[in-house]
Amino acid sequence: MKFKKSWLLLLSFVLMLGILAACSGGDDAGTEPEGEGTETEQPAEGPQKGGTVVGAMDTPPSGQFNPIFYEEAYEANILSFIYEGLLSQDENLNFTPGLAKEWSFNDDQTELTFKLEENVKWQDGEPFTADDVVFTYKLLASPGYIEAGGIRSYFAGNLVGYEEYSTGASQDFQGVVKVDDYTVTFKFAQPNVKALSDASFSIIPEHIFKDISIADMPAAPESREAGKIVGTGPFKFTEMVQGEQYVLEKNADYWKGEPYLDSVVWKVVDQAVILGLLETGEIDFVADPNGFQAADYETVAAMPNVEIIEQPDFGYQIMGMMVNHRAAGDKTLDPSKWTVNEDLKDQKVRQAIAYAIDRQAIIDGLLYGRGIVQNSPIATQFDAYDDTNPPQYEYSADEAKKLLDEAGYKDVDGDGFRENPDGEEWVLSLNYPLGNQIRERSAPIVEEYLEAVGINIDLRQPKEAAAYFEDLENNAQDWDLYLVGWSLDSTDPDPTGLWDAPAAYNYSRWNNTEADALLKEANTPPEAFDKAYRNEKLSEWQVKFGEDLPALILYAANSLWAHNTRLHGVDVLPYSFLNDTHLWYVTEE
Amino acid sequence: MIQYLIRRILVFIPMLFALTVIVFALMQAAPGDPFSQKMDPNIDRAVYEKQREALGLNDPIHEQYLRWVGNAIKGDFGDSLIYKGRTVADLIAERFSNTINLGIMTLLITIIVSIPIGIYSARHPYTPLDYGATTFGFLGLATPNFFFGLLAIYVLSIQLGWLPSHGTVSKPGIEGFELFIDKIRHLILPSLTLGLAGTASYMRYMRSEVLDVLGSDYIRTARAKGMTENTVLYKHTLRNALIPIITLLGFEVGILLGGAVITEGVFQFPGLGTLFITSIGNRDYPVIMAINLMLGFFVLLGNLLADIFYSIVDPRIRYD
Repeated sequence: MKFKKSWLLLLSFVLMLGILAACSGGDDAGTEPEGEGTETEQPAEGPQKGGTVVGAMDTPPSGQFNPIFYEEAYEANILSFIYEGLLSQDENLNFTPGLAKEWSFNDDQTELTFKLEENVKWQDGEPFTADDVVFTYKLLASPGYIEAGGIRSYFAGNLVGYEEYSTGASQDFQGVVKVDDYTVTFKFAQPNVKALSDASFSIIPEHIFKDISIADMPAAPESREAGKIVGTGPFKFTEMVQGEQYVLEKNADYWKGEPYLDSVVWKVVDQAVILGLLETGEIDFVADPNGFQAADYETVAAMPNVEIIEQPDFGYQIMGMMVNHRAAGDKTLDPSKWTVNEDLKDQKVRQAIAYAIDRQAIIDGLLYGRGIVQNSPIATQFDAYDDTNPPQYEYSADEAKKLLDEAGYKDVDGDGFRENPDGEEWVLSLNYPLGNQIRERSAPIVEEYLEAVGINIDLRQPKEAAAYFEDLENNAQDWDLYLVGWSLDSTDPDPTGLWDAPAAYNYSRWNNTEADALLKEANTPPEAFDKAYRNEKLSEWQVKFGEDLPALILYAANSLWAHNTRLHGVDVLPYSFLNDTHLWYVTEE
Repeated sequence: MIQYLIRRILVFIPMLFALTVIVFALMQAAPGDPFSQKMDPNIDRAVYEKQREALGLNDPIHEQYLRWVGNAIKGDFGDSLIYKGRTVADLIAERFSNTINLGIMTLLITIIVSIPIGIYSARHPYTPLDYGATTFGFLGLATPNFFFGLLAIYVLSIQLGWLPSHGTVSKPGIEGFELFIDKIRHLILPSLTLGLAGTASYMRYMRSEVLDVLGSDYIRTARAKGMTENTVLYKHTLRNALIPIITLLGFEVGILLGGAVITEGVFQFPGLGTLFITSIGNRDYPVIMAINLMLGFFVLLGNLLADIFYSIVDPRIRYD
């Protein structure tokens, strides 16, 4: 009896295993037939009308589809089919015509005048005019906009009279003025090097929103509901299942020409399931913000019906080094009140830290090589990015040790860790947040590299994002090293918002007067309008950054996007491939 | 009985009130707020400070709480801080129906599968089928939700194409019977996944309860009286064996409503679980409060229902 019992147990266990094995065995059998499809691909056929493509994102959008109020990349995916701005950007990140066909500056570079396309209609048939441009920028500057939840006031912040209008001191906004129906002038308080960037915001229709108060606008159906949203773009937002599916149908009257596709559908699918559906063809493309994971690269590359788009991302992960701390409880951003962080005050120590970490190994190990080592905090896509002049900090534990020795940080008590020049215990805390698996995994690796050269690291427990960033903002006194990731703007390379001494996001509290002066020069007209001059100043700044090293850029992961080979006409730009979607077409196999 | 019910329901009020105080206090004690993790180098922190001020997040905690209670009593749970332009009531309503559907389907699967198998196992212990059920039970308990969910998607959806892999409907705009069938099809995999562990454990409970009761004196007496095996089983055994199961099911209601985060994630099934978790991560205070209140209510209600069912299955239990 006893024997029988265990035998039966064993049998059922084996049976279960058999079922599991059969499941995974189905893998090969299932994939083969789908491969045949690609052979029929014939680019010579030319664009065809009709068809639907399905895009996937792994997190549902929060549901705010008004360009002036949305915040997340998930909404941006959908909005990029619906709304357009006056300007677009080409593959070199130069501004190109959008709703505006041409533009010119006045002599002192304070006024920027746009000639608008004249045959543009809103998706409900109303004509698009200069009034819509004025209306949009007026909203961005209007009092109550921020209180209603808006965060994009910076697009209007440099315009004449922004301060007076946004505080309610003036009823009249003269920052953007209509000259005639198809001519509009942006007036800046000062000559503005980022004028084109400021003018590139998506335009929303005046006739739809004019009777809605700014406070009610985020909740208005015109901002949230499919079928009520009106843009100028190639696709109309017609239907949705909130949190699951978003259906866009072609705008047959699109001003650049009728789109080839009938519709584009966005589906929300878990990251782990996206790949399977990409392979079966249920999903045609996957894009920002998360694309697919580097670990899955080989799997996706092996799919015969899928093409991968891989290019550098606008962003990177850094290990910041707190050069200064704010005085305890001080909420201002006044560098004169900061105190020096004794543990990291020596430039040589910071440089040693950079030498001690094998960043290429981190990229190879955690990102499967799908990323780049970057030595300056400007996005590599800009020609302002200087690849050669800033110090490269190629991995060298010996160099790191040498620098630490020179700086007087030596192991005097023989415990394997270096003491500071006064012979006291020297421990650097390393802090990191939860929420990005690769970053989480990089923290202990960094710790190991630094301890290998004798730096005693206190690797703190990771904190949940909301808690972590509160501490980071308060600039906790006992923090030395911190991990954080930055996504960068694709419209302008200026790093002032992150690294200028009084910038809120300058969490290292880096205060280098020479560097700040260079940043200022790079952004001060009239010289700064000369791109060569500006790039030169930014290059000098990048060298300063690299030498003084308020942060080490650990890695910049590549964007990994993919689309089915039946989708054609995809024109990849550095920041997206969801552009000129009216030229997308599919070949059915 | 009626009096008892009224008394029980009145007790809900102070309990829920206490719950809101505790949750509100904990929420405020947690570090960070809805704006602490919003970081965009283009955006001046002053913008967020203005928004904090406008939302009243800088007011003293007791003022914030009283404001919340005042509105909540009037049925106004406020606007979400993260889902801009959406009211909390609207957000929860949208997710609630999905969660209820998933919960009901899961409970049905759990009960329909586990109780008959449990009874069978108890009546025919140590037979191959019993061993099979036992093995399934342990595997079911040991398999993590996300693994079973992904396996089910891979086999049944991606390889065989029988069932949809994500969402609650296949496309917007379908109606009537077609919509009903479509929703059921979308529910099958998530509810199987969610119900797996439950089914396995109820099966085990059922088996041991029935075995236990079958061995008791009154069953021997019943058999001695010459009752048919069916009468013994369905009239005497089952009623007694079901009591602990009902207690568990009462708790299960609350768990099903609030705890399906992983399953919802794998199937991108927009339910309350994921809303709850993202709201906590984002410090979306009004949503957290409302969901907590709702979950608290349903846990209390589930327990009350369990108590009522006791008196139905066991006439000796009386409430007055």
